[in-house]
Amino acid sequence: MDFVAPKIALSGIAPEIALAATALLVLLADAFIGDRPRTLRPEHGSARPGSGILGNRWHLPLLSLIGFGAAVYLALDAWDRVDATGATTQFSGMIAVDGFSVFVKITLAVFGALTILLGHEYLVRRDLEEGEFFALVLFSVAGMMLMASSADLIVTFLALETFSIALYVLVGYQRSRLDGQEAAMKYFLLGAFSSTFFLLGIALVFGATGSTNLYGEGGITSFLATTPAADLSLLVLGAGLLIVGLGFKVAAVPFHMWTPDAYQGAPSPVTGFMAAGSKLAGFAALLRLLDVVLFPLRWDWRPLVIGIAVVTMIVGSILAVVQDDIKRMLAYSSIAHAGFVFTAVIATNDRGISGALFYLATYGLTIVGAFAIVAVLGGPEERRTRVNDFRGLFAAHPLLAGILTLLMLSLAGVPITSGFVAKLVVFGAAVEAGYTWVVVVGAIASAIAAFFYLRILVVMYMVDAEVAEEPKAVMGPLSIGVIGLSAAATLVLGLFWSPLIELAEKATFFAGP
Amino acid sequence: MPITYLLILSSMLFSIGVYGVLARQNAVLILLSIELMLNAVNINLVAFSAMFGAEGVAGQVFALFIIAVAAAEVGVGLAIVILIFRNRSNVDVDEMSLMKW
Amino acid sequence: MVDTWQLVVFWALFAMMGVSALRVVTSSNVVHAALYLVVTLMGAAALYVLLLAEFVAWVQVLVYVGAIIVLMLFGLMLTRAPIGKGMFDNDQRLVAAVTAGALFGVTTWIIVDAFEGQKITLSKATGIRAESIGDVIFSSFVLPFEVISMLLLAALIGAVVIARRD
Repeated sequence: MDFVAPKIALSGIAPEIALAATALLVLLADAFIGDRPRTLRPEHGSARPGSGILGNRWHLPLLSLIGFGAAVYLALDAWDRVDATGATTQFSGMIAVDGFSVFVKITLAVFGALTILLGHEYLVRRDLEEGEFFALVLFSVAGMMLMASSADLIVTFLALETFSIALYVLVGYQRSRLDGQEAAMKYFLLGAFSSTFFLLGIALVFGATGSTNLYGEGGITSFLATTPAADLSLLVLGAGLLIVGLGFKVAAVPFHMWTPDAYQGAPSPVTGFMAAGSKLAGFAALLRLLDVVLFPLRWDWRPLVIGIAVVTMIVGSILAVVQDDIKRMLAYSSIAHAGFVFTAVIATNDRGISGALFYLATYGLTIVGAFAIVAVLGGPEERRTRVNDFRGLFAAHPLLAGILTLLMLSLAGVPITSGFVAKLVVFGAAVEAGYTWVVVVGAIASAIAAFFYLRILVVMYMVDAEVAEEPKAVMGPLSIGVIGLSAAATLVLGLFWSPLIELAEKATFFAGP
Repeated sequence: MPITYLLILSSMLFSIGVYGVLARQNAVLILLSIELMLNAVNINLVAFSAMFGAEGVAGQVFALFIIAVAAAEVGVGLAIVILIFRNRSNVDVDEMSLMKW
Repeated sequence: MVDTWQLVVFWALFAMMGVSALRVVTSSNVVHAALYLVVTLMGAAALYVLLLAEFVAWVQVLVYVGAIIVLMLFGLMLTRAPIGKGMFDNDQRLVAAVTAGALFGVTTWIIVDAFEGQKITLSKATGIRAESIGDVIFSSFVLPFEVISMLLLAALIGAVVIARRD
């Protein structure tokens, strides 16, 4: 047998290559120029003398940011090409190069860059190692990007595992925190458990269609086009298991058990990254799989997804109300938000896809800011994250309280914020597809959800004589910058949403067979 | 050989693994059960690959990839287990009661 | 004739793997559980040989039995799990058994429904040899292969970060 060397075109995965290469450079640079004092253990908030918050540790974050910049540049380059020549697949049909994947990649790079900025300050203040943190963030963003553009279920699985393994470690990164260790353990065990369901799903799809490829010759798309619908029960079971595996990653009920623990135990910058990034990556794979490839099977998978959407919205909103810890509350709120995005998935129209992209982009920008605020108020081991710890925040830090108000209102979906526009778009898509009752359930869930966002606001503005300890924000220029950026994005996208929505609409074209 | 036999064996192992994950308490034992489930998937893939003949080589390749991923997962998992053991000298999942919903 | 022998070997492996898998999840001795997993994995390797997937069989023996299980045993010993009898089950065994049984029922039903009567014909001519696996890995599956290297590196870094002593 003669070996035929494959035709390799790297443009489709150039952003991922840039990130992986940057991760390696960061590790090398860390070994040679990094300084990691293991003897000095400064108190929280007082960095080592002469090191400042940027001090002599600026190389690694700068390098990581350059990596993300390069990824965005290369993704934009790919956008120009697919805009001119149309969507294609590369690497023997393993990678889809289309508008959808480019949009998701750019958004993910932005989330990753914000995480680097927050993580730098967070780690320096706690005197934790930085090189490995940045490398893991870079690897996980590369995995998420690959997931968004994968055109073969094998690649989807490997990409999912890459970013999951990096996230398991990032969750337990602050090793001294007991709740962080437990969070890492629970997230890992449940993540590995759900991965096996995803794998079984791929195996059954392979058995049913003879291929794991989505678009290629003899792939799933062409199989569906040529096979009568009657003998597809195995494919449907496989698709159901794939939904289970991805539902875990986007934190949909009933696969959400890990979410509150992992969100609470993880360092807050990581929590924000998980909420923004792994949701976007998971939904990117779900949208490509369900709304494009398995579109002919929509009557089979839709009841399951509608059930997940309804239960997720209701359970997430109700359980958020009873939480006392703000990180757990935001975790349940993120579950509810996953439910809202699912309403766009069941719409199976272009408006639904672009709406979901818009929703996930704006939600990510908002939630990263919210967790940045939690990080600066939480103290060294993030013990001050109970709702009552925010008592009197307005008196102590009026501007921070104002920004938190804006972010909470956006999460609740109040007009003039990006959250309102996003909800309007996804609900509009579902109504257009004829699922008005799901939207009604979503509206009820939003109303329930408004309670707990308001609860934080009430506590914050309460002028109370019994404030045990005033909230104390410890923040440097990077945190301030990220929080400001998040607030600005939330407000601006709430007022001038059309450019981003138009971009998302332009991005709804997919590679095909 | 009828393919259903192999698939039934696979789904039996998978279900036993699910039982183990749900019923066990020790983190390492849960990890062992997850390995059972991964093996069930691999048997599925190799069986389908044999069914499709030369076209089904993707199934065997995927089985190899899964073995590699399983090794990586176990490495990270045991690191987390050891980290937890250092602090509390047992690795029982149900005793981790610092956090409840 | 060959078919009959294949079936005999298959059912022997079936019984062996079924029993040892059950012991993995019920044994009250952690080391026994790990060793029963070795039996199950070796059974799977034998099954791959039976299905003419030699390369996968050898990787299974070398990586799974040779590396992963040894790692597991290290894990068990480093965490000083009580060697000998102990109680490692929680109190939801009934729920777990019902869930597992239901899963088994549903998947088996759908699988039997979908593949009723389909047979695997095994002959040397149709078997997939290591050569063609290598060909495919380095042509159409070259990207997943590279992604695995990134995954392993991330896992390596992660394991070092997590298990490092301060």
